[in-house]
Amino acid sequence: MELRGWLAANLTDDIVAVARRRRSDDAVFERLRGWNRAMADAGWAAVSWPQQYGGRGATVLEQLVYAEETTRARAPLPINVIGMNNIAPAIMQYGTEFQKRTLLPRMMRADDIWCQGMSEPEAGSDLAALRTRAVRDGDHFVVNGQKIWTSLGHHAHWCQLYVRTDPEAPKHKGISCLIVDMSLPGIEARPLVTLNGDADFAEVFFNDVRVPADALLGPQDGGWQVATTTLSHERAAAARLYVEMRARLEDLVADFARAEVDARPVLDDPAVLLRLGEIAVRIKYLEVLCQRSVSATMHGGDAFGSASLAKTVWGEVGQDLGALAFDVLGPGCGGRWADLRLTSRSLTIAGGTTQINKNITAQRVLGLPRR
Amino acid sequence: MNLELTDEQRALRDAVRGFLAEKASIEGHVRPLLADPTGVTDAVWRGLADLDTTGLLVPPEYDGAGMTMVEAGIVAEELGAALYPGPWVSSAVAAPRALTRLGVDGDAAELFGGIADGSTIATVGPLTGRLPVAVGQGESALLRGEMRGVPDAAAADIVLVFSEDGDDTGLFAVDTTSAGIMATPERGIDQTRRQFRVTLDGAPARRLADASPEAVRALTDDVLVATAADALGAARAVMKSAIEYAKVRRQFGQPIGSFQAVQHLCADMYETVELARSGVIHALWAADAANPAEKHLAAVRTKAFAGRLATVGDTAIQVFGGIGYTWEHDAHLYLKRLLGWNTFLGGPDRYLEEVGARLARSLLREKHTRGFA
Repeated sequence: MELRGWLAANLTDDIVAVARRRRSDDAVFERLRGWNRAMADAGWAAVSWPQQYGGRGATVLEQLVYAEETTRARAPLPINVIGMNNIAPAIMQYGTEFQKRTLLPRMMRADDIWCQGMSEPEAGSDLAALRTRAVRDGDHFVVNGQKIWTSLGHHAHWCQLYVRTDPEAPKHKGISCLIVDMSLPGIEARPLVTLNGDADFAEVFFNDVRVPADALLGPQDGGWQVATTTLSHERAAAARLYVEMRARLEDLVADFARAEVDARPVLDDPAVLLRLGEIAVRIKYLEVLCQRSVSATMHGGDAFGSASLAKTVWGEVGQDLGALAFDVLGPGCGGRWADLRLTSRSLTIAGGTTQINKNITAQRVLGLPRR
Repeated sequence: MNLELTDEQRALRDAVRGFLAEKASIEGHVRPLLADPTGVTDAVWRGLADLDTTGLLVPPEYDGAGMTMVEAGIVAEELGAALYPGPWVSSAVAAPRALTRLGVDGDAAELFGGIADGSTIATVGPLTGRLPVAVGQGESALLRGEMRGVPDAAAADIVLVFSEDGDDTGLFAVDTTSAGIMATPERGIDQTRRQFRVTLDGAPARRLADASPEAVRALTDDVLVATAADALGAARAVMKSAIEYAKVRRQFGQPIGSFQAVQHLCADMYETVELARSGVIHALWAADAANPAEKHLAAVRTKAFAGRLATVGDTAIQVFGGIGYTWEHDAHLYLKRLLGWNTFLGGPDRYLEEVGARLARSLLREKHTRGFA
């Protein structure tokens, strides 16, 4: 309720509208950064963080309420959300006191923008095949290689970078994690223009970059375990996947309610209602799936591989929603739904493809043999 | 938020599962009864009654267990997994819920008692379509008309009949041994379930209660949700069986379950089953705990999902390959159970449309009350 009051007082229509515009526009980016800072100063940017780092130590259930409330108000996500959800937990677990004290507060306020250097051209689904090399030279690592699909890479001040430090070891055992200052000489970040013309991602090139050895996060050659911490936090975030999708469905129905095709209200068309119903059922069931997952976590129940399942369902239903919206509204409504029709392709690719998720379900949950 | 089963619920599930495995296997019970019009044997029905499953939903003041639809769903899921062919949903869910939803009391105690201890098998009709007509005043009447799709009529001792009664609708009890009632089997796709055309030609009936449209709808929702739980059990069982087969069936020198193409079929089945489970969990809870609109929507969703759930039967047969296409294999019995649910009280499309229409209406109403429509 405290949050609801704060949102009512601080979230202007203007900020809600800005979030729908493209972040490749610098003015849009800076407005969203300002919103991140406003949330942080009020203690609403990173509620899951422990209080000692400026968070609220929110439980999983409280995080769900937070997601419901901020989404209901259509508040933009903090721009540094990847840093706060995916990188910060690793810094808290593996970082030095100095790293925690200097990096985390500025991350929370978006004073520094953070990116994650994981995927590479030759290491997509097979992340552990990454090739970017870091060679120890005195009190530095010398880094060479290329990252891709780096969200915010061209805006970032810091990068949580995964590099290969032992090329002789088995592929999971020769990886280390570095916290890299993106202003170091030899780093070049190029915006990667995606299919809809936006540029949320970057390609980042490392050419003889000298990174101080104390940038190491976690043990040398122990980067895979750092990455797994990060990824398991990403899975905890799976519990809130339905919230965003439900909001999208509500927005679509609101646009449908104003739309006509051949002088007939769209919502009088049984074929539209049927497809809407098909999507609504699955979004509701995704919600219950997420709640079952939270319940299992809290009460020691069987987690039934719910995170990868929820991610798969989310991607599929999101694409069906994008297809319905575009089929009915076309490029109308400011192009929002045409954009979703295109960008929803990423829902079954980013953060682990649906096919990899199905492999995980088949092998780890259903116990089918690996080849 | 706790969606885990309680220890008591777990014990109920395990007891029913264990009993069915021992006394009502597909080989020993379901298949021998495929051509039997009743689908029930005294021994197995008595066993289900002894486990208190027939009186689960009967109020405690009438010697029932007074439990909720959540417990009924736990039993229904196990019965579906075992392809149980008897009149359990009719007698242990539809009939007692008809009596409680309509607020039947007084003389009804006798009916409740027989249902609870298993000595009376009851069914309910019709939940859709034209109603028979009652002739006569007061508590006794004669019923005339024809009902389609009445489940388990040959096994039943009592049929609870919704009838036109002047300008009202009433619920009447008809003894199936009386003159003027005749049940003819209807052709269905699922040999493990039975439906009948029931002809009433001046059948003597006892009037039990007024039937409001709201109460009839609530009852229909209860029957849908219990049947959804049954279908979930069937889908779960055939999925598990197909996955186990994929682990041991070898081709090209390795288990077929090691091929990604087969793994993804299995993952697809699992996704569908777990989504359906989410829907059933929610609808069973809503049946006794939610407001009427949410309860109804939850039930409608389970039907709307029935088409997708049936694909689990199709996919399982694909994983089994040729052997799954034979009469001897049980996969077709499961597919048919799922297809029966698919068309029960109408195909999924109209339910999908209803979900869409309700969503549209509720969001528009919300916007209006907030004042920025």
